[in-house]
Amino acid sequence: MSFSRIVNNFNYVFSALLFLMGLYTVAVKPNLIKKLIGLNIMETSVFLLIVSLGMVGGGEAPIVEAGVKTANIVNPIPQALILTGIVVAVSTTAVALSLCIRIHQKYGTLEAGAILGREVDV
Amino acid sequence: MKKALVLMALALIAVVFIYAIGKMPPMNGKDTPDKTHVVPRYLEKGEEEAGARNIITGIILNYRGYDTMGETTVIFSALAAVIALLDREKRRRSRSSVDASKVETSTVVRTVARFVLPVVVLFAVYTILHGEPSAGGGFQGGAIIGASIIIFALVWGLPEATDRMPLGARLPLESSAMLAFLAMGVIGLAYGVHFLTFILPGLSAGVAETVRSLMLTVIEAGIGVGGGIIFVSIVFAMMREDRYELQQDRK
Repeated sequence: MSFSRIVNNFNYVFSALLFLMGLYTVAVKPNLIKKLIGLNIMETSVFLLIVSLGMVGGGEAPIVEAGVKTANIVNPIPQALILTGIVVAVSTTAVALSLCIRIHQKYGTLEAGAILGREVDV
Repeated sequence: MKKALVLMALALIAVVFIYAIGKMPPMNGKDTPDKTHVVPRYLEKGEEEAGARNIITGIILNYRGYDTMGETTVIFSALAAVIALLDREKRRRSRSSVDASKVETSTVVRTVARFVLPVVVLFAVYTILHGEPSAGGGFQGGAIIGASIIIFALVWGLPEATDRMPLGARLPLESSAMLAFLAMGVIGLAYGVHFLTFILPGLSAGVAETVRSLMLTVIEAGIGVGGGIIFVSIVFAMMREDRYELQQDRK
């Protein structure tokens, strides 16, 4: 563990920062839509981390040209995994949003405190 | 009080993260652990084995075909869950705030949408069909198709959009992603090889290659259209339930 290693891995540092921002939003904001936004920020931070893992300095997209051999190709597996991850994230967001619509119809609000019927300490 | 506690917990997590990042292999490296096991083989033989110049498409449709088939069921179950919660939209009826609004959509928005949307749909078709030889693919194209129809619904309103995309037309298309995958997988079984094998035995090399790229294109098109229409249906179901807030405001 060294300082230069941490500076060199700046993508990981920023994805950790994004993750903490999302976690803070989920934990502190009382509005359900804001919690959802925080959840999506956390998901995005994970996508950034995993795609960065497969990065190669000055690398090219993993598309093979006929007869051309390129040495510097980025890792395709994280990109394929993240494609799956994005689709799953969108699906869960859709279900969560429709739950929010139902909650709003029942309670007329999306504030966690009003739904629980008490003051929520923030 | 709670805020301070949360911030302290986050600081603890941050310390763990920074420690872990300091231990991780350097970014941009060419021989980090993630690039030394299965990746060289994918890059070297991907085109030949998976039948796609775009290695990512090859991985998604071929090496990890089962995974992607499960993914199509994930978006389908998302649609099923949303419909179970909200119900389908009713034809020519909407309670959405877009449709309840007294203000007409501005001419600028209408005109821009009218000019841009056909180009967006064309680009989506290009993206779906180009998943194999270059950047693109079914899910990406499906997202673009879905976005174009959702923009139409936001500009012209849900009744107009459900007239253009009626439920009867969307119902069979919603399941097309999974069905295309299953159909192409079963063709392999009929030829006596494993499920989701795209190289069929008993055909000459050239014909087998053509058949494989045709099968991959069918799957991509199925995923594109199916995924796009699923998200359109989800947004239609959500728009129909939009009105509650307005009724509250009018009291």
